[in-house]
Amino acid sequence: MKRSSFHQAAILTVTAVLFSTPVLRAQATRSGVQQFDPLAFPGSVVDDVVVPVPSEVFSVLDKLGEPNWRQELRKLDLPKTADRTKLALMFGMVVAEGFVAVQAEDKDEVKDIGREVINLSTALGLIKSVRPHAQAILDAADKEDWRSIRKEFDQTQKTVRDTMEQMKDLDLSQCVSMGGWLRGTASVTSVVSKNFSADRAELLNQPMLVEHFIGTIGKMGSSMKEHAIVSDISKGLTGILAKMEGAVDGFTKDSVRDIGKTCDSLLSSIKAGK
Amino acid sequence: MHFSTHPIRLGIALFAAAILVFSTTLSHATVDDAHGFAMEAAMPFVEQGFIVREDYWNGEVKSAQKLMIKHQMFKGNEYAFWLGSANEGVKFELKVYDDKGKEISIDSKSSSMFASIRVNPPKTGTYTIVFSLTSKTEVGLYWALAYGYR
Repeated sequence: MKRSSFHQAAILTVTAVLFSTPVLRAQATRSGVQQFDPLAFPGSVVDDVVVPVPSEVFSVLDKLGEPNWRQELRKLDLPKTADRTKLALMFGMVVAEGFVAVQAEDKDEVKDIGREVINLSTALGLIKSVRPHAQAILDAADKEDWRSIRKEFDQTQKTVRDTMEQMKDLDLSQCVSMGGWLRGTASVTSVVSKNFSADRAELLNQPMLVEHFIGTIGKMGSSMKEHAIVSDISKGLTGILAKMEGAVDGFTKDSVRDIGKTCDSLLSSIKAGK
Repeated sequence: MHFSTHPIRLGIALFAAAILVFSTTLSHATVDDAHGFAMEAAMPFVEQGFIVREDYWNGEVKSAQKLMIKHQMFKGNEYAFWLGSANEGVKFELKVYDDKGKEISIDSKSSSMFASIRVNPPKTGTYTIVFSLTSKTEVGLYWALAYGYR
């Protein structure tokens, strides 16, 4: 019996050690344990794509002129829904709207958006992890601390995506990124269209990101991929990619307007009540 | 059910369990530590007005293996990339190339725990970041790559 018990203890310990190794490996693999292939220059590829936040583009637009960011703010008017795909897309969209509000230095709008962040994260069941960021946004808005608000919007989006990924909702996490990119790009096209120049229009040269989103949708589970709005986004992005790839000599005013129309149409679908 | 309490056997089991707990804790810490060192590299840049992105890349890599990341950058912004490792005495290589394969990174700096570079992208588009970490003592190295812009 004693021998057997020792064996049990030993087996438990060895099993625990063995189990711990894949857990560690899995974590590293998710982040990317890389095996270098000497035949493929210049090394192995890290597939993860970091999607820029809208303020990365907005900051360039500010340097190229003084856009009227208040004109770019859109009423949120979000429908009540239990559709998690729509909620995730709306979440990304609202955070992007937050970046527009920061650019406009509109304290009240930032606070409204902060409250909408709370509503959406509650509907998504993520309020516990989001509340500290949402509160920080509201507090920083009172102080008009725009730099901190930008940081908090970025952190909010990352927290939501990380939490979704921990809950194995990888597809939803991608929807957050897509919703944000669509809203950010709609703003950029609107600003560029109002005061067109080749330098401003060049900011739309983002084919790698669009390909990434199209590829991401392609890898989604069938129920997500067949979701009406996700399917529409896939088609819309394919059209946007064609415009970007066709802009060999730079974007025309029409192509900028077309990309904007596609983004606006998809954002309207996301916000539609159905 | 009776469980053996033979002191030597119990000691072995406890020792193994302690190693397990310690190794698990250490391994989790190292991934975060790599990011921590990348953020340490970012500090002087923040003082110069760079905004640090919350998203970053991380993982584990064999010593001296090259890794490649595609990243979107916008002409008009200045970017800084910070590569951190949790392992001491690492030699870093960190470069950014344009779509023609021309190196565009400037102002490369490194210490024993992190490296940094700056980039003024000449065009808006996709750029390639290539980096490696080399250690004389470690086979696998935890890394994190973060960036900021202004």
